[in-house]
Amino acid sequence: MAPVLYMQDVSPPVRSVLLTAEALGLKLEKKVVDLSKKEHLTDNFLKLNPQHTIPTLDDNGTVVWDSHAINEYLVEKYGKNDSLYPKDLAKRAVVNQRLHFDSGVIFSWLRYIVRSYKYKGRKELTEDQIEHLEESYSLLESFLKGHQWVAGDSVTIADFSLVTNITSLTLLYPVNPEKYPNIINWIKRAEGLPYYKVHLEGLQSFKKMFQEMLK
Amino acid sequence: MAPTLYMIPPSPPVRSVLMTAKALGLTLNEKIINFPAGEHLQPEYLKLNPQHTVPTLVDDDGFAVWDSNAINPYLIGKYAKDDSLYPQDLQKRAIVDQRLHFNGSVAFGAVAGIVRCILYEGKTCLDDNDKTRVEQVYAFLEAFLDDGKPWMAGDCLTVADYNLYATVSAGDVLVPIDGQKYPKVATWFDKVGNLPEAEATKKGLAIFESLISSKLQ
Repeated sequence: MAPVLYMQDVSPPVRSVLLTAEALGLKLEKKVVDLSKKEHLTDNFLKLNPQHTIPTLDDNGTVVWDSHAINEYLVEKYGKNDSLYPKDLAKRAVVNQRLHFDSGVIFSWLRYIVRSYKYKGRKELTEDQIEHLEESYSLLESFLKGHQWVAGDSVTIADFSLVTNITSLTLLYPVNPEKYPNIINWIKRAEGLPYYKVHLEGLQSFKKMFQEMLK
Repeated sequence: MAPTLYMIPPSPPVRSVLMTAKALGLTLNEKIINFPAGEHLQPEYLKLNPQHTVPTLVDDDGFAVWDSNAINPYLIGKYAKDDSLYPQDLQKRAIVDQRLHFNGSVAFGAVAGIVRCILYEGKTCLDDNDKTRVEQVYAFLEAFLDDGKPWMAGDCLTVADYNLYATVSAGDVLVPIDGQKYPKVATWFDKVGNLPEAEATKKGLAIFESLISSKLQ
Protein backbone atom coordinates (compact mmCIF):
# COMPACT_ATOMS: atom_id res chain seq x y z
CA MET A 1 0.00 0.00 0.00
CA ALA A 2 1.25 3.49 -0.78
CA PRO A 3 2.53 5.41 2.26
CA VAL A 4 -0.01 7.88 3.61
CA LEU A 5 1.01 11.50 3.94
CA TYR A 6 -1.02 13.69 6.28
CA MET A 7 -0.60 17.08 4.75
CA GLN A 8 -1.83 20.47 3.65
CA ASP A 9 -0.12 21.83 0.57
CA VAL A 10 0.16 25.34 1.93
CA SER A 11 2.92 24.05 4.25
CA PRO A 12 6.49 24.34 2.92
CA PRO A 13 7.74 21.28 4.86
CA VAL A 14 4.87 19.25 3.37
CA ARG A 15 5.95 20.42 -0.06
CA SER A 16 9.53 19.26 0.57
CA VAL A 17 8.12 15.75 1.09
CA LEU A 18 6.11 16.05 -2.15
CA LEU A 19 9.36 16.97 -3.95
CA THR A 20 11.22 14.05 -2.40
CA ALA A 21 8.47 11.56 -3.30
CA GLU A 22 8.28 12.88 -6.86
CA ALA A 23 12.07 12.69 -7.23
CA LEU A 24 11.93 9.08 -6.04
CA GLY A 25 9.01 8.22 -8.31
CA LEU A 26 7.08 7.25 -5.20
CA LYS A 27 3.32 7.51 -5.02
CA LEU A 28 1.91 8.85 -1.76
CA GLU A 29 -1.68 8.69 -0.60
CA LYS A 30 -2.40 12.24 0.49
CA LYS A 31 -4.79 12.87 3.40
CA VAL A 32 -5.52 16.50 4.07
CA VAL A 33 -5.31 17.69 7.66
CA ASP A 34 -6.78 21.17 7.73
CA LEU A 35 -4.92 23.11 10.41
CA SER A 36 -7.42 25.99 10.29
CA LYS A 37 -10.14 23.52 11.31
CA LYS A 38 -7.85 22.13 14.06
CA GLU A 39 -7.90 18.69 12.46
CA HIS A 40 -4.34 18.22 13.76
CA LEU A 41 -5.65 18.36 17.35
CA THR A 42 -8.09 15.45 17.11
CA ASP A 43 -7.44 12.46 19.39
CA ASN A 44 -6.73 10.25 16.38
CA PHE A 45 -4.11 12.56 14.99
CA LEU A 46 -2.48 13.16 18.39
CA LYS A 47 -2.19 9.38 18.79
CA LEU A 48 -0.28 9.29 15.53
CA ASN A 49 1.82 12.40 16.20
CA PRO A 50 1.78 13.98 19.68
CA GLN A 51 3.60 16.98 18.26
CA HIS A 52 0.52 17.47 16.04
CA THR A 53 2.41 18.78 13.03
CA ILE A 54 2.26 18.17 9.30
CA PRO A 55 3.70 16.51 7.38
CA THR A 56 3.23 13.17 9.12
CA LEU A 57 3.92 9.95 7.24
CA ASP A 58 2.29 6.57 7.93
CA ASP A 59 4.16 3.99 5.89
CA ASN A 60 2.11 0.89 6.53
CA GLY A 61 2.35 1.30 10.28
CA THR A 62 5.71 3.09 10.45
CA VAL A 63 4.84 6.59 11.56
CA VAL A 64 7.36 9.36 11.00
CA TRP A 65 6.98 13.10 11.42
CA ASP A 66 9.11 16.15 10.81
CA SER A 67 9.69 16.61 7.09
CA HIS A 68 13.47 16.21 7.47
CA ALA A 69 13.13 12.82 9.18
CA ILE A 70 10.45 11.81 6.64
CA ASN A 71 12.62 12.73 3.65
CA GLU A 72 15.65 10.90 5.05
CA TYR A 73 13.47 7.83 5.68
CA LEU A 74 11.91 7.90 2.19
CA VAL A 75 15.27 8.14 0.42
CA GLU A 76 16.77 5.34 2.51
CA LYS A 77 13.77 3.10 2.00
CA TYR A 78 12.73 3.85 -1.58
CA GLY A 79 15.72 5.47 -3.26
CA LYS A 80 17.42 3.51 -6.07
CA ASN A 81 20.66 5.10 -4.95
CA ASP A 82 21.82 7.40 -2.13
CA SER A 83 22.38 10.58 -4.13
CA LEU A 84 19.56 12.52 -2.45
CA TYR A 85 20.93 11.61 1.01
CA PRO A 86 24.49 10.29 0.67
CA LYS A 87 25.63 7.43 2.87
CA ASP A 88 29.20 8.79 2.95
CA LEU A 89 29.58 10.05 6.54
CA ALA A 90 31.15 13.40 5.72
CA LYS A 91 28.74 14.21 2.87
CA ARG A 92 25.81 13.14 5.02
CA ALA A 93 27.01 15.32 7.90
CA VAL A 94 26.97 18.35 5.59
CA VAL A 95 23.44 17.51 4.42
CA ASN A 96 22.38 17.01 8.04
CA GLN A 97 23.78 20.38 9.06
CA ARG A 98 21.87 22.05 6.19
CA LEU A 99 18.69 20.20 7.24
CA HIS A 100 19.13 21.48 10.81
CA PHE A 101 19.79 24.98 9.47
CA ASP A 102 16.48 24.62 7.67
CA SER A 103 14.55 23.47 10.76
CA GLY A 104 16.37 25.51 13.40
CA VAL A 105 16.84 28.79 11.54
CA ILE A 106 14.83 29.13 8.32
CA PHE A 107 11.58 27.36 9.19
CA SER A 108 11.67 28.66 12.77
CA TRP A 109 11.61 32.21 11.43
CA LEU A 110 9.00 31.46 8.80
CA ARG A 111 6.71 29.84 11.38
CA TYR A 112 7.25 32.70 13.85
CA ILE A 113 6.52 35.35 11.21
CA VAL A 114 3.41 33.62 9.83
CA ARG A 115 2.10 33.20 13.38
CA SER A 116 2.66 36.86 14.21
CA TYR A 117 0.62 37.79 11.13
CA LYS A 118 -2.06 35.20 11.71
CA TYR A 119 -2.55 35.35 15.47
CA LYS A 120 -1.26 38.79 16.38
CA GLY A 121 -2.68 40.60 13.39
CA ARG A 122 0.65 42.08 12.28
CA LYS A 123 0.67 43.57 8.78
CA GLU A 124 4.40 44.07 8.35
CA LEU A 125 7.71 42.62 9.47
CA THR A 126 9.46 43.94 12.56
CA GLU A 127 13.03 45.25 12.40
CA ASP A 128 14.17 42.23 14.37
CA GLN A 129 12.53 39.84 11.89
CA ILE A 130 14.09 41.66 8.92
CA GLU A 131 17.52 41.54 10.55
CA HIS A 132 17.22 37.80 11.11
CA LEU A 133 15.93 37.16 7.60
CA GLU A 134 18.86 39.09 6.12
CA GLU A 135 21.25 37.05 8.24
CA SER A 136 19.54 33.82 7.17
CA TYR A 137 19.70 34.74 3.49
CA SER A 138 23.32 35.75 3.92
CA LEU A 139 24.19 32.37 5.46
CA LEU A 140 22.41 30.47 2.70
CA GLU A 141 24.26 32.61 0.14
CA SER A 142 27.56 31.54 1.73
CA PHE A 143 26.57 27.83 1.73
CA LEU A 144 25.95 28.12 -2.02
CA LYS A 145 29.29 29.81 -2.75
CA GLY A 146 31.11 27.72 -5.34
CA HIS A 147 28.42 25.04 -5.35
CA GLN A 148 25.40 24.24 -7.47
CA TRP A 149 23.33 23.00 -4.57
CA VAL A 150 23.22 23.74 -0.85
CA ALA A 151 25.23 20.74 0.27
CA GLY A 152 27.61 20.45 -2.67
CA ASP A 153 27.38 19.68 -6.33
CA SER A 154 24.46 17.26 -6.29
CA VAL A 155 20.87 17.94 -5.38
CA THR A 156 19.88 16.49 -2.01
CA ILE A 157 16.90 16.57 0.32
CA ALA A 158 18.50 19.64 1.92
CA ASP A 159 17.69 21.50 -1.31
CA PHE A 160 14.07 20.32 -1.18
CA SER A 161 13.61 21.55 2.40
CA LEU A 162 15.35 24.87 1.82
CA VAL A 163 13.83 25.70 -1.56
CA THR A 164 10.25 25.18 -0.36
CA ASN A 165 10.87 27.36 2.69
CA ILE A 166 12.85 30.06 0.86
CA THR A 167 10.39 30.36 -2.04
CA SER A 168 7.67 30.82 0.59
CA LEU A 169 9.73 33.26 2.68
CA THR A 170 10.61 35.34 -0.37
CA LEU A 171 6.91 36.13 -0.77
CA LEU A 172 7.06 37.79 2.65
CA TYR A 173 10.52 39.28 2.33
CA PRO A 174 12.04 39.15 -1.15
CA VAL A 175 15.51 37.76 -1.70
CA ASN A 176 17.49 40.70 -3.07
CA PRO A 177 19.07 39.48 -6.36
CA GLU A 178 21.96 41.93 -6.07
CA LYS A 179 22.89 40.89 -2.56
CA TYR A 180 22.13 37.19 -2.98
CA PRO A 181 22.81 36.11 -6.59
CA ASN A 182 23.73 32.56 -5.49
CA ILE A 183 20.28 32.09 -3.95
CA ILE A 184 18.52 33.44 -7.05
CA ASN A 185 20.53 31.16 -9.35
CA TRP A 186 19.92 28.17 -7.07
CA ILE A 187 16.14 28.77 -7.15
CA LYS A 188 16.29 28.95 -10.96
CA ARG A 189 18.28 25.70 -10.98
CA ALA A 190 15.63 24.05 -8.75
CA GLU A 191 12.86 25.29 -11.06
CA GLY A 192 14.58 23.34 -13.84
CA LEU A 193 14.21 20.03 -11.98
CA PRO A 194 11.62 17.86 -13.80
CA TYR A 195 9.60 17.27 -10.60
CA TYR A 196 9.75 20.84 -9.27
CA LYS A 197 6.22 21.66 -10.39
CA VAL A 198 4.75 19.40 -7.70
CA HIS A 199 5.27 22.15 -5.12
CA LEU A 200 3.91 25.07 -7.17
CA GLU A 201 0.21 24.63 -6.39
CA GLY A 202 0.96 24.67 -2.67
CA LEU A 203 3.18 27.70 -3.10
CA GLN A 204 0.23 29.50 -4.70
CA SER A 205 -1.94 28.47 -1.72
CA PHE A 206 0.70 29.92 0.59
CA LYS A 207 0.75 33.15 -1.40
CA LYS A 208 -3.05 33.37 -1.24
CA MET A 209 -3.05 32.68 2.51
CA PHE A 210 -0.50 35.40 3.06
CA GLN A 211 -2.40 37.93 0.95
CA GLU A 212 -5.54 37.17 2.98
CA MET A 213 -3.64 37.82 6.21
CA LEU A 214 -2.54 41.23 4.94
CA LYS A 215 -6.13 42.38 4.38
CA MET B 1 45.47 13.06 15.97
CA ALA B 2 42.32 13.75 17.99
CA PRO B 3 39.49 15.63 16.28
CA THR B 4 39.28 19.29 17.33
CA LEU B 5 36.18 20.73 18.90
CA TYR B 6 35.75 24.49 18.81
CA MET B 7 33.60 25.25 21.80
CA ILE B 8 32.62 27.17 24.88
CA PRO B 9 31.90 25.01 27.96
CA PRO B 10 28.44 26.36 28.95
CA SER B 11 26.83 25.93 25.52
CA PRO B 12 24.18 23.15 25.56
CA PRO B 13 24.98 21.90 22.04
CA VAL B 14 28.69 21.82 22.94
CA ARG B 15 27.88 19.79 26.03
CA SER B 16 25.98 17.25 23.95
CA VAL B 17 29.11 16.71 21.84
CA LEU B 18 31.25 16.29 24.97
CA MET B 19 28.72 13.75 26.26
CA THR B 20 28.70 11.83 22.98
CA ALA B 21 32.50 11.83 22.78
CA LYS B 22 32.76 10.50 26.34
CA ALA B 23 30.26 7.75 25.54
CA LEU B 24 32.40 6.80 22.54
CA GLY B 25 35.63 6.90 24.55
CA LEU B 26 36.82 9.53 22.09
CA THR B 27 39.28 12.23 23.08
CA LEU B 28 38.64 15.64 21.58
CA ASN B 29 41.10 18.47 21.34
CA GLU B 30 39.01 21.27 22.86
CA LYS B 31 39.63 24.81 21.62
CA ILE B 32 37.70 27.59 23.29
CA ILE B 33 36.36 30.31 21.01
CA ASN B 34 36.47 33.78 22.51
CA PHE B 35 33.07 35.22 21.55
CA PRO B 36 33.39 38.58 23.33
CA ALA B 37 36.63 39.17 21.37
CA GLY B 38 34.82 38.29 18.12
CA GLU B 39 36.97 35.23 17.46
CA HIS B 40 33.98 33.46 15.89
CA LEU B 41 33.87 36.17 13.21
CA GLN B 42 37.53 35.91 12.20
CA PRO B 43 38.18 34.73 8.61
CA GLU B 44 39.92 31.52 9.79
CA TYR B 45 36.85 30.47 11.78
CA LEU B 46 34.38 31.55 9.10
CA LYS B 47 36.24 29.33 6.64
CA LEU B 48 35.53 26.37 8.91
CA ASN B 49 31.99 27.46 9.78
CA PRO B 50 30.34 30.36 7.92
CA GLN B 51 27.49 30.17 10.41
CA HIS B 52 30.06 31.10 13.12
CA THR B 53 28.48 29.01 15.85
CA VAL B 54 29.80 26.49 18.36
CA PRO B 55 30.25 23.57 18.45
CA THR B 56 32.29 23.09 15.28
CA LEU B 57 34.15 19.83 14.81
CA VAL B 58 37.24 19.48 12.66
CA ASP B 59 38.09 15.84 12.16
CA ASP B 60 41.69 14.64 11.89
CA ASP B 61 41.44 14.66 8.08
CA GLY B 62 40.44 18.32 8.06
CA PHE B 63 36.74 17.73 7.50
CA ALA B 64 34.72 20.41 9.30
CA VAL B 65 31.10 20.12 10.40
CA TRP B 66 28.95 22.16 12.74
CA ASP B 67 25.60 21.88 14.53
CA SER B 68 25.57 19.32 17.33
CA ASN B 69 22.62 17.54 15.71
CA ALA B 70 24.87 16.84 12.68
CA ILE B 71 28.16 16.44 14.60
CA ASN B 72 27.00 13.74 16.99
CA PRO B 73 25.56 11.35 14.36
CA TYR B 74 28.79 11.86 12.40
CA LEU B 75 30.96 10.99 15.42
CA ILE B 76 28.84 7.94 16.16
CA GLY B 77 28.98 6.79 12.54
CA LYS B 78 32.73 7.16 12.46
CA TYR B 79 33.88 6.12 15.93
CA ALA B 80 31.22 3.98 17.59
CA LYS B 81 31.69 0.22 17.95
CA ASP B 82 28.04 -0.40 17.07
CA ASP B 83 24.99 1.55 15.89
CA SER B 84 23.03 1.58 19.15
CA LEU B 85 23.37 5.33 19.71
CA TYR B 86 22.17 6.06 16.17
CA PRO B 87 20.44 2.95 14.81
CA GLN B 88 20.73 1.84 11.20
CA ASP B 89 17.19 0.42 11.40
CA LEU B 90 15.09 2.87 9.35
CA GLN B 91 12.13 3.03 11.70
CA LYS B 92 14.26 3.55 14.80
CA ARG B 93 16.47 6.08 13.06
CA ALA B 94 13.48 8.09 11.84
CA ILE B 95 12.34 8.56 15.43
CA VAL B 96 15.83 9.67 16.50
CA ASP B 97 16.00 12.09 13.56
CA GLN B 98 12.64 13.61 14.46
CA ARG B 99 13.80 14.05 18.08
CA LEU B 100 17.01 15.74 16.88
CA HIS B 101 15.05 18.20 14.72
CA PHE B 102 12.71 18.86 17.64
CA ASN B 103 15.79 19.50 19.74
CA GLY B 104 17.35 21.91 17.27
CA SER B 105 14.29 23.90 16.33
CA VAL B 106 11.71 23.76 19.13
CA ALA B 107 13.65 22.92 22.30
CA PHE B 108 16.87 24.80 21.66
CA GLY B 109 14.92 27.59 19.97
CA ALA B 110 12.97 28.19 23.19
CA VAL B 111 16.01 28.01 25.49
CA ALA B 112 18.41 29.98 23.28
CA GLY B 113 15.84 32.70 22.66
CA ILE B 114 15.48 33.35 26.38
CA VAL B 115 19.22 33.04 27.09
CA ARG B 116 20.03 35.55 24.34
CA CYS B 117 17.69 38.09 25.96
CA ILE B 118 19.26 37.49 29.37
CA LEU B 119 22.88 37.67 28.23
CA TYR B 120 22.66 40.37 25.55
CA GLU B 121 19.44 42.33 25.96
CA GLY B 122 19.36 43.00 29.67
CA LYS B 123 16.48 40.70 30.59
CA THR B 124 16.55 40.25 34.36
CA CYS B 125 13.60 37.95 34.92
CA LEU B 126 11.55 35.44 33.02
CA ASP B 127 8.01 36.46 32.10
CA ASP B 128 4.95 34.23 31.61
CA ASN B 129 5.67 33.98 27.90
CA ASP B 130 9.15 32.59 28.55
CA LYS B 131 7.85 30.08 31.08
CA THR B 132 5.14 28.94 28.67
CA ARG B 133 7.68 28.46 25.89
CA VAL B 134 9.89 26.22 28.00
CA GLU B 135 6.95 24.35 29.52
CA GLN B 136 5.63 23.65 26.02
CA VAL B 137 8.90 21.85 25.33
CA TYR B 138 8.47 19.79 28.50
CA ALA B 139 4.86 19.02 27.53
CA PHE B 140 5.91 17.70 24.13
CA LEU B 141 8.71 15.62 25.67
CA GLU B 142 6.23 14.23 28.20
CA ALA B 143 4.03 13.21 25.26
CA PHE B 144 6.99 11.62 23.43
CA LEU B 145 7.66 9.56 26.57
CA ASP B 146 4.00 8.59 26.83
CA ASP B 147 4.57 5.24 25.14
CA GLY B 148 6.19 4.03 28.36
CA LYS B 149 9.55 3.46 26.73
CA PRO B 150 12.56 4.29 28.91
CA TRP B 151 14.42 6.60 26.55
CA MET B 152 13.50 9.57 24.42
CA ALA B 153 13.47 7.62 21.14
CA GLY B 154 12.33 4.21 22.40
CA ASP B 155 13.83 1.18 24.08
CA CYS B 156 17.46 2.16 23.73
CA LEU B 157 19.61 5.08 24.76
CA THR B 158 20.44 7.14 21.67
CA VAL B 159 21.99 10.43 20.62
CA ALA B 160 18.46 11.89 20.95
CA ASP B 161 18.82 11.47 24.73
CA TYR B 162 22.20 13.20 24.77
CA ASN B 163 21.17 16.15 22.63
CA LEU B 164 17.83 16.68 24.38
CA TYR B 165 19.42 16.26 27.81
CA ALA B 166 21.93 18.99 27.05
CA THR B 167 19.15 21.38 25.96
CA VAL B 168 16.75 20.41 28.76
CA SER B 169 19.46 20.79 31.42
CA ALA B 170 19.78 24.43 30.30
CA GLY B 171 15.99 24.77 30.19
CA ASP B 172 15.83 23.39 33.73
CA VAL B 173 18.07 26.24 34.94
CA LEU B 174 15.60 28.75 33.48
CA VAL B 175 12.33 26.97 34.29
CA PRO B 176 12.80 24.00 36.65
CA ILE B 177 11.07 20.83 35.48
CA ASP B 178 7.89 20.41 37.49
CA GLY B 179 7.93 16.74 38.46
CA GLN B 180 4.20 16.78 39.19
CA LYS B 181 3.25 18.10 35.75
CA TYR B 182 5.99 16.26 33.82
CA PRO B 183 6.80 13.10 35.80
CA LYS B 184 8.15 11.17 32.82
CA VAL B 185 10.45 14.04 31.81
CA ALA B 186 11.68 14.39 35.41
CA THR B 187 12.45 10.65 35.64
CA TRP B 188 14.15 10.63 32.25
CA PHE B 189 16.16 13.74 33.14
CA ASP B 190 17.50 12.19 36.34
CA LYS B 191 18.27 8.93 34.59
CA VAL B 192 20.28 10.55 31.79
CA GLY B 193 21.96 12.88 34.27
CA ASN B 194 23.25 9.86 36.19
CA LEU B 195 24.89 8.23 33.18
CA PRO B 196 28.70 8.22 33.36
CA GLU B 197 28.91 10.24 30.11
CA ALA B 198 26.78 13.00 31.65
CA GLU B 199 29.79 13.82 33.82
CA ALA B 200 31.32 15.50 30.75
CA THR B 201 28.54 18.09 30.79
CA LYS B 202 28.59 19.05 34.46
CA LYS B 203 31.40 21.61 34.45
CA GLY B 204 29.85 23.53 31.55
CA LEU B 205 26.40 23.34 33.11
CA ALA B 206 27.75 24.85 36.35
CA ILE B 207 29.25 27.73 34.35
CA PHE B 208 25.92 28.19 32.55
CA GLU B 209 24.02 28.24 35.86
CA SER B 210 26.38 30.78 37.31
CA LEU B 211 26.19 32.99 34.18
CA ILE B 212 22.40 33.01 34.24
CA SER B 213 22.00 33.54 37.98
CA SER B 214 24.44 36.45 37.85
CA LYS B 215 22.12 38.21 35.39
CA LEU B 216 18.72 37.38 36.88
CA GLN B 217 17.27 39.28 39.79
